[in-house]
Amino acid sequence: MSYHRGICNFCGTGCGHLLLVENNRARGVYPLPGHPLSRGRLCVRGWHIHELLQTDERIIRPMVREGETFRTVSYQEAIDYTARELKKFSGREVAFLGSPRASNEENYLFGKFARAVMKSNNISLSSDAGLEESARVLLEGCGWPAMTGSLSGLRQADFILVLGGDLTRQNPIIASEIHFARRAGAFLVTISPRKTQMARLSRIHLRPRPGTLSMLLLAMARVLADEDLIDRESLAGLVENWQAYSEYLDSVDRDEIFRLTGVEEKEVISLARKLTAAKSAFAFYPVGIQSLDRQSMAALFNLFLLAGKVGRPGCGLCPLTGISNLLGSLDMGLSPSFLPGYFPADREGSWKRLEELWPVRLERWPGKNAAACLLEDNPVKALLVVDHDEEIIRNLNRIKKLELVVYFGAYQNAFSRLAKVIFPRTTYIEGDGTYTNSERRVQLSQKKVDPPGEVRPLWEILSRLAGSLGHDWNYRSAEDIMSEISRVVPQYAGLSHLKLKDRLGIKWPADERHPEGTDCLLAEEASQKFRFVLDDRESSDRPRQSSPGQEFPFQLVIGRSNYFWHQNSIMKRTFIPRREYNALLLLYPKGFVEVSEEDARALGLREKQTVKIISEKAEVRLAVRISPDILPGMLYIPYFVDDMIPEFLHRQVAELEKYEEFFLPVRLEKVA
Amino acid sequence: MYWLEKDQVVKLTGKLARDYALFGPRRDEVSGQVIFDRLDEPGRLDLQAAIPYNPPKFVLFPHYEEILKYRYQKQTRKVTIEKIDKLQPKALVGLRSCDLTGILCLDRFFLGQEFVDEFYLEHRKKLFLISSTCVRPFPQCFCVCTDSGPAAREGFDLDLTFTGEGYLVLVGSKKGQKLVEELQLKTAGPEAAALRKKMVDESVSSFDSFALENKAWISRATNRLTTGFVKPEVWEYIGHQCFECGACSFVCPTCSCFNVEDVNDNDGHTDRVRTWDSCSFEGYTRMAGDHNPRKPVEDRRNKRFFCKLSYSQSKKYLRPGCVGCGRCARVCPGDIGLPNVVTYIRREVTGE
Ligand code: SF4
Ligand code: SF4
Ligand code: SF4
Ligand code: SF4
Repeated sequence: MSYHRGICNFCGTGCGHLLLVENNRARGVYPLPGHPLSRGRLCVRGWHIHELLQTDERIIRPMVREGETFRTVSYQEAIDYTARELKKFSGREVAFLGSPRASNEENYLFGKFARAVMKSNNISLSSDAGLEESARVLLEGCGWPAMTGSLSGLRQADFILVLGGDLTRQNPIIASEIHFARRAGAFLVTISPRKTQMARLSRIHLRPRPGTLSMLLLAMARVLADEDLIDRESLAGLVENWQAYSEYLDSVDRDEIFRLTGVEEKEVISLARKLTAAKSAFAFYPVGIQSLDRQSMAALFNLFLLAGKVGRPGCGLCPLTGISNLLGSLDMGLSPSFLPGYFPADREGSWKRLEELWPVRLERWPGKNAAACLLEDNPVKALLVVDHDEEIIRNLNRIKKLELVVYFGAYQNAFSRLAKVIFPRTTYIEGDGTYTNSERRVQLSQKKVDPPGEVRPLWEILSRLAGSLGHDWNYRSAEDIMSEISRVVPQYAGLSHLKLKDRLGIKWPADERHPEGTDCLLAEEASQKFRFVLDDRESSDRPRQSSPGQEFPFQLVIGRSNYFWHQNSIMKRTFIPRREYNALLLLYPKGFVEVSEEDARALGLREKQTVKIISEKAEVRLAVRISPDILPGMLYIPYFVDDMIPEFLHRQVAELEKYEEFFLPVRLEKVA
Repeated sequence: MYWLEKDQVVKLTGKLARDYALFGPRRDEVSGQVIFDRLDEPGRLDLQAAIPYNPPKFVLFPHYEEILKYRYQKQTRKVTIEKIDKLQPKALVGLRSCDLTGILCLDRFFLGQEFVDEFYLEHRKKLFLISSTCVRPFPQCFCVCTDSGPAAREGFDLDLTFTGEGYLVLVGSKKGQKLVEELQLKTAGPEAAALRKKMVDESVSSFDSFALENKAWISRATNRLTTGFVKPEVWEYIGHQCFECGACSFVCPTCSCFNVEDVNDNDGHTDRVRTWDSCSFEGYTRMAGDHNPRKPVEDRRNKRFFCKLSYSQSKKYLRPGCVGCGRCARVCPGDIGLPNVVTYIRREVTGE
């Protein structure tokens, strides 16, 4: 029984921990003191990761489907079988779904397997929509695809803006850093429809009407310009398209925006002043599980650029990833739009470069993400999946019809039942691997226990599979793969397991110029001139949905981020977090709709009374939960009751999957 | 009192390692921080290291412990209880006085009440405890306010005080006496007791200059808590900052909340396990039929501090439930460790 240094693998905070190992099993956990970000803290999930890691609900042996049952086979048999099957399909007929919990080495190899071996560009993660969008906005604006600031300096911040989400639930330890910054004097502002804990801790909580967040941010930018709170001279030098943006700002109808967002003008003016005056300003927004929409991200970027808060020390735009290695997975190119290292897939040069490095011929056709591949009229025929949570299950019927599903995973889940071949793989404490948290910190997690039975690491399974398909991959360890990554992914150029072994992570880019990593984006070191992100001009100054009318007077907001962990097949294997996440479910077994105190009074609603929520296309019955956390005119449904989702929500809205800002016009009726 | 030369520490740990699994403070190579851990190599013991980030609680009240193994046969409906491996004797070396006091508090909870907890007892019977005087407090310490340090008074088998040249050794039990004799330690001479007292006194008076992180004027808070003179707004202010992580309970040397679960193995048997739990959790106090006596988070905070500081609880432990180690302040994402809470209660802080 002793403690081993490691990292938490739940969310994209990447806290340092000490895992207590006894007789080859995880038997406890403790926060690692001295970790640069988590500084000796863990959240409720992190405090119980050993409960997950000790579970016996593992997949131990490879299996091949025979009719309705599975036959246990050896790895070699499973590999031969899979290779034979895969040969039947062209690259376009196969889709690859990676895991944001898998290591960089595993994800890199999974991507290489798709592109180099299977000649398929259909490669994605399921929770990546928001992160990819954020990377695009940031790349366009400043040539840097992830968090521009450094959380190491957060406690000295003067101004912090938190947009959407429920940060104290989603990334609790980063939320804690914000809380400490606030206690040290930072001016904290939350913009979210619901009164979250973060909102309660904030000096100011703004609640623009659902769907108008990007407009509110635009209004703040306009106020900055109108009040002459910007440094026009330095902007002209720093930014390529300042003139165009300036004209755009002038064209915005300021009064109209304030009317539509429902936010007081004087509040925005005072905020704009605070932002300009701040020497150190940060903005946080969720990406991944439930993300901001592109317009809001772009509006936020533009606002910060206008205020002179991009590319300065002590300032930062901070997209926060909800799942442990979501950022790393995108760094490794698990996306139809980016090759490893953020080389855009729509540029010939990106492919040429990769063909030289790998060296292998690659296909150029534009790939799609797995969900899109499944929903097409002519869907793909085979799907290879790593580790999946339940999210993909909404395409159950499509998946059932596929000719081949290959599942690589450590635990049984709904997905494994759909597979034709199942490859058990090691968990993250059963081998070495690196994981990249929201702040670009690449951390090495070293092997702490032996896997059960013969279970092999994913990289080895993929290498053998590639071998059977005529590609001689000679990786002997995850370390080997990292040394290849350091040649392919420029941001990782200066990284190796050897170097990471005695450090608590290194923030990319790590290269010759910055061998110990890079804290934050600095204008003077940037690879390009900055740009305001000016696409979608049509929609960014308009609400995302038409406002509610007579027939559907309520705006229904669907909350996902704070309840994501309920839905999660991983949480279900713990005791305490499961109990805590289920506490609400026990009270409202069929789900609930939150109604403001004012509306409940006006409509004469009682707590737990059943009501019907009716939209244009569907209706659902739910219990009323009277809540001080939402505004009159708004209804809120948390996204966590299984039946409710296909029943009511999925049928009508694909967009709900992605964006924080989504709302639906509905009416509420009492059930007699 | 006896005398242990600096270089005899190896002999002491070597001897202990023959009969006991050795635990003590060691330094993590990468973070440089001190943790209390199993020492496979006795050489990793660092008696000079600061108070470990974790208390020794996990050794006798494990984070996750199998307390029963059984097999249920569906066909015959028979339950067979299976043996659990016998526990190994363990020696805890270099315990800080606060942590030793923590163990004494756990003793009262698990052994000193109506029911004796046999699992705890089994661990406890097989412990060898060596405490170590803090000749200097650490920044987070406030044991002088909670009467639990900086030097141990009872409960140890041996107690060490480092003088610079070597260790003064106090014997606290027969087991301890036997070990001292086996090691053939010299007696420390007539001035030893006075020297130890002087060192402890100096340590106490150095709290003002070294232990600067936390000031906890416990008695005033205890009064208010016991008499119920804490405004609800104070609890609300505290509750809003709680992230409900449970850390304050997990890291506290005296917290003893636990949860029991049955876990089914792949091979057909069930483990009944006991795991750490916390009264900060909503689910912890949830009762059947929707009724949760401590629903809002501020009430659950209130409960914990009542448990640590009120007179009625102190009667149970025969001392305050807080031993002044300052750990809950370091691990709390909400910055509402006990010292801050005590301040808020004393000064009736309800906002910023
Ligand atoms: S904040 Fe995220 S990484 Fe940290 S302990 Fe919690 S779940 Fe783990
Ligand atoms: S609280 Fe007291 S006994 Fe504990 S380490 Fe600090 S000084 Fe020593
Ligand atoms: S309440 Fe806090 S300071 Fe007191 S003993 Fe527990 S952890 Fe240590
Ligand atoms: S450590 Fe702090 S945040 Fe966590 S439960 Fe305790 S008081 Fe709440």
